[in-house]
Amino acid sequence: MSALRGWPVSVRLAALVLLGYALLALASLAGWLDHGLALDVAARLAPPSGRHWFGTDPLGRDVFAMVAAGARTSLAVALGAVLVGLAAGTPLGLLAAGRGGLTDELVARGNDLLFAFPALLLAVLLSAALGPGALTAVVAIGVFNVPVFARLVRGSALSLMTRDFVRAARLAGRGPLAIAFVHLLPNLAGLLLVQAAIQLALGISAEAGLSYVGLGAQPPAPSWGRMLNEAQTLVGVAPWLAVFPGLALALAVLALGVLGDGLAARLDPRGRR
Amino acid sequence: MSHAPRAWRAALGAALALALLAAPPPARAAAGGSITIGIPLEPPNLDPSATSAEATHDVLYANVFEGLTRIAEDGRVVPALARDWTISADGLRYRFHLRPGVRFHDGAPFSAAEARWTLERARASGSRNPLHDLLQPVRAIRVIDELTLDLELERPVAEILTYLGWGNLVMLSPASAAHAATAPIGTGPFRFREWRKGDAIVLERNPDYWGAPALLESVRFRIVPDAATGRAALLAGDVDAFSNFTAPENLAELGRDPRFTVVVGSTEGETLLAINNARPPLDDLRVRRALAHAVDRRAIIAGAMYGYGEPIGSHFPPHDPDYVDLTGRYPYDPARARALLAEAGYPRGLELTLRLPPPYYARRSGEIVVSQLAAAGVRVRIENIEWAQWLEQVFKNHDYDLTIVSHTEPMDYDIYARPSYYFGYHDARYAARLESLSRTRAPAERHRLLVELQQQLAEDCVNVWLFELPKLGVWRHDLHGLWHEAPVQGIDVTRAYLDAPASAGHARPGGRAPAVVLGTVALLAALLAALALRRHVDARYLAGRGAALALTLLAASLVIFVLVDVLPGDPAAYMMGLNASPAAVAALRADYGLDAPAWRQYLDWLGALAHGDLGLSYTYRVPVAELVAERLSVSLPLALLALALATLIAVPLALAAARRAGQRLDALLMGLAQAGLSIPNFWLGLLLILGLAVERHWFAAGGFPGWDAGLGPALRALALPAVALAVPQGCILARVLRRALGEALGEDYVRTARAKGLTPDAALVRHALPNALIPTLTVLGLQFSFLLAGAIIIETVFALPGLGRLIFQATAQRDLIVVRSVVLLLVASVVMVNFLVELLYAVVDPRLRRTGAP
Repeated sequence: MSALRGWPVSVRLAALVLLGYALLALASLAGWLDHGLALDVAARLAPPSGRHWFGTDPLGRDVFAMVAAGARTSLAVALGAVLVGLAAGTPLGLLAAGRGGLTDELVARGNDLLFAFPALLLAVLLSAALGPGALTAVVAIGVFNVPVFARLVRGSALSLMTRDFVRAARLAGRGPLAIAFVHLLPNLAGLLLVQAAIQLALGISAEAGLSYVGLGAQPPAPSWGRMLNEAQTLVGVAPWLAVFPGLALALAVLALGVLGDGLAARLDPRGRR
Repeated sequence: MSHAPRAWRAALGAALALALLAAPPPARAAAGGSITIGIPLEPPNLDPSATSAEATHDVLYANVFEGLTRIAEDGRVVPALARDWTISADGLRYRFHLRPGVRFHDGAPFSAAEARWTLERARASGSRNPLHDLLQPVRAIRVIDELTLDLELERPVAEILTYLGWGNLVMLSPASAAHAATAPIGTGPFRFREWRKGDAIVLERNPDYWGAPALLESVRFRIVPDAATGRAALLAGDVDAFSNFTAPENLAELGRDPRFTVVVGSTEGETLLAINNARPPLDDLRVRRALAHAVDRRAIIAGAMYGYGEPIGSHFPPHDPDYVDLTGRYPYDPARARALLAEAGYPRGLELTLRLPPPYYARRSGEIVVSQLAAAGVRVRIENIEWAQWLEQVFKNHDYDLTIVSHTEPMDYDIYARPSYYFGYHDARYAARLESLSRTRAPAERHRLLVELQQQLAEDCVNVWLFELPKLGVWRHDLHGLWHEAPVQGIDVTRAYLDAPASAGHARPGGRAPAVVLGTVALLAALLAALALRRHVDARYLAGRGAALALTLLAASLVIFVLVDVLPGDPAAYMMGLNASPAAVAALRADYGLDAPAWRQYLDWLGALAHGDLGLSYTYRVPVAELVAERLSVSLPLALLALALATLIAVPLALAAARRAGQRLDALLMGLAQAGLSIPNFWLGLLLILGLAVERHWFAAGGFPGWDAGLGPALRALALPAVALAVPQGCILARVLRRALGEALGEDYVRTARAKGLTPDAALVRHALPNALIPTLTVLGLQFSFLLAGAIIIETVFALPGLGRLIFQATAQRDLIVVRSVVLLLVASVVMVNFLVELLYAVVDPRLRRTGAP
């Protein structure tokens, strides 16, 4: 925990919350909560109790176990989407910054094109084309992340290129691509981390939205968005079905946001507000 | 700095004033009483002779259109446009005596000639009528005199009077039948008034009806796609009745509520776990029987249907006198199932996929079936698909292992004898029994044959029959005369009435409000652009940006076309429904231009777009531009309202925080904003509905009454969704503005202003705020596009007929031309808004005037 020393309380709390989610997701992945996911129609719609912390759903499944399994789906999809964005966006951004000229222009136009598609719209189309599912959600959200990272990397790389160590490398005869990947990339890691946290938060929101309209992970894989959708008709009877998945979702997004902010403040010397 | 914004404000004010003036006064309540009935799916079209879509018949059957005979609530065949009839002794000639003095809604007369025309059209080769095949035994149709019609058969068909009573064989007029898809004209007690795409279809009383006139003045069939919205709308009084409610979990609660009547009846819907009998290992009877033993119907009915729905063991409705109970044939016994699988050579079980169409009973039963089959060693993977995909993959291509669906057509046991039906079941004995049934009219003999049919299906275990779909009627306690049972597809409102008429008025005259709203906004945008252009922006820069814009749009059009073109699912198959013949589907494909090569279709589309022609919707048969204008009249005001609210939240929050920069209040407010932006908007929407629309009736729980209903009701409907959208966006905006303010406060000009003697507040508002607006504007522009297109989820929560839902719906219905054009339009609007924002920079920031770019 010594790594957390020196960070504001809010950031430390956020990190703890996220750790909690990760542990929940791992526990769910390891199958420790599987017994809660079994159908038990006799025990359906039980309110929160010592036995079922978050109550049970219409099929008698334990809502806590479902929220935990939902964390797994949510985190996996959002992480996957960030990886897609990083893997495609970073090289594109570096390429644009390093080569300049036509390459730069092409990448910029490509980014404009992707940005012109409202994210959800693209997801709806992709889901219709590829069939709904977690993988489609990763692709849909990931595609939206690509121009975000590409622009960030390009902009920061261009400002780094005026720095002395880059000039030195250039004088030493390194090619523009080598400079981009060897000298620029390591200096961008911090910025990328901050952006990754933000995109992770957005990705979790987007995944929930997609599965709310039925385009995310498919049953029986639990997901927060679908749980909320299914809770809607039951708000009068079983409000816990709408409350806990929604809270889990909001808390995860909040924690990532706080963490991202904390990281950004640490990286940016002017950012001490 | 002061000059341009003042002009801008003036333009905005003028535009808003125009919009307010243009809004008509609130509509009067209709006399005689009107009701709103919720239906889960929108009809693909309103031509009853060309589709077997249940939604079409729900709206039209008995209300707008009538046949020679009709099906009564108890399932009997009773006279309709034929007053009576005689049948020859050999059962080959039916003579119908028609009612005199019947006229279609357009004044055209109905006589034997029109009846003959309707039936000939249905049985002609190339007919799109789903009952085309059933009419093949008809040899001739003769007009004897004006009111007498003879129907001659090649062999006896005992069911012919029933067929004539179904929705597909209702009487059409030769003069108007071609336009029935959008303007249905029948002889019924109600006539068609209006179809608001994505929202509602309105019928009004036919004052010239030949029989007892309808009791209600008008009936509105409102499309309520999901059960949650339906419940909320019912509780909020936006919907008066559901003929078949899709949330059985709410029936107990609604039944206890004195405001509602709950009536549980039965439909003709055999809900079954369909098995692909042609595909190994499911072609093995032992495997199919293993599945039957592994499924526990009672648990499914309890879990998915909350106890509603009667278990069935074969393809026959339990309320029919010829029903035989076969639910005990394969008792629930997972051990027996495992043994059967082992016997068939699968001791370790097997793996299958289950493709589920959208209805709630299928999705919910599916989850339970999967867990039950798992207990017997059958590992099943669920694939949730849309109707268009289901029709293409399962129904047409037979590409499936298992699916769950309800077969709602009455007397549809003949599907098991059809040569290429999706069950893949072929049995000569079954076909022979069916054939002799059709020749038999003696009740006792028919009963014996019908029982044998049921038994054979159960013995061969063609499918695993689950339950008869219940009809869960929920309506206002003061509404009477709706059917309790559903022996035929249709929601008959001809005898419906209210205890206290005129209490609920949903009547609305048609209007041009969408055009007014659109015009206002276009004007606003043009004013803004002109303002920016005339004063501040360099022409060469503009030309360059214009070219880049055009290029982006061209690339986008290609991306969209490719994406939409690869969508699985055939638009024509979707339109024609379950019973369409391949020839009829092919004819429709050619009609749509879908048989041309892809590049040709792309160029045609671009060419039409260049002329400002967005195309004609496959589904609604109206110009896409008209659809877009209708939907935009919801989406645009919603986006603007949300944006205004977000600004209203953001500016005070950011100013208050910036005033106390670095202090506790600053941290608190920004923390609040951080929390606010983390709340998913659809969850907020859900909580708002629960708190403000259902518990207290302050706002509409969903739906949109239209601008013609008056400014008040329309804004009331948009208020909650706008708030749900605005809170997270406002919080994002607040943080951006706060950061920008923080930076501006550190600048020299603010220090100078303070030194001049300005109070901190004045310095903040007069000097820091204008400078902080620039980064804020970028975010606002992005948010506007997000709100316009991205409100899709909120539109779902509140059942708003906006652009997002149009795309969603058009995608599900494979109305590809709508999807393409609307997505491109949205992309264009995003690009345009970003461009406008760039221009606005120049207006807001005098430093940028020379170059026009930040």
